[in-house]
Amino acid sequence: MSDNLDKLFKVARAMKRDTSRVEFGFETRLLARLRIERAQAAPWFAFAWKLVPAFAAIAVALGVWNFTGATAVDLPTAIVGNTEDTVLVSYLTGDSQ
Amino acid sequence: MSAHPDEPTDERLIQATLTGDDGAFAALVGRYKSRAFSIAGRFARNDYELDDICQDAFIRVYHNLAKFRGEAPFEHWFSRIVVRTCYDALRKTQRDRKNVSLDGIDIGAEDNVNAERAREVLDFALARLSAEERLAITLLELEEISVRDVAALTGWSESNVKVRAHRARNALKRVLEASHER
Repeated sequence: MSDNLDKLFKVARAMKRDTSRVEFGFETRLLARLRIERAQAAPWFAFAWKLVPAFAAIAVALGVWNFTGATAVDLPTAIVGNTEDTVLVSYLTGDSQ
Repeated sequence: MSAHPDEPTDERLIQATLTGDDGAFAALVGRYKSRAFSIAGRFARNDYELDDICQDAFIRVYHNLAKFRGEAPFEHWFSRIVVRTCYDALRKTQRDRKNVSLDGIDIGAEDNVNAERAREVLDFALARLSAEERLAITLLELEEISVRDVAALTGWSESNVKVRAHRARNALKRVLEASHER
């Protein structure tokens, strides 16, 4: 049976398919398909929904940061607050003069 | 495939294609389409399927042309895409292919096997193989490509190619034996 198989391979190898009919005008058909593909190409905003997970992750991260960060030192307020106290103490004790 | 001295090189055609020159791409296609038809012709069942496979392969080439680094000849890179497209087509049509019948075809033991009949018998037997086995045995036995090159074309290891080809041969023998006994 192995001989039979080798015989089949040999015959099939020698047989070259005639592709001339399909090859004729192939480039024209291919370029036409490419042009159709380009014309049907979706605009960028059609893919905007793909960014939803990224935006959701950013929103969650901001929420977590805001929640945990609220108890932390609020630097501008602390600076302003401290300055006011210092000015008040200076005024009351007469150091400002 | 080397370009004629007067003709633009593959690299030039690729660069021109990347800048939007469709004429350059058409020239590139014209240069390599015979190779694509030769490989795909071993897997396609008819002219329509052959045209589809080759168009799909060249569309993939077009979309991935920017990724071609020029480290290997264009023909090698291009052939890998054609083989990959054939493999995808084989997997897609696997179920339909098994419906090929061998009615009225006798695999005679005579020495002079009729070419057309041999092809029908082989198509029938190959249709019984998995896409991987069929790809391996076709490239090795019909296209006479070395194991090393088949491995490069398919992205499989050499031992994987050998194992798949061995399995394919055994499966083909079984199919032929069963058909002969009928």
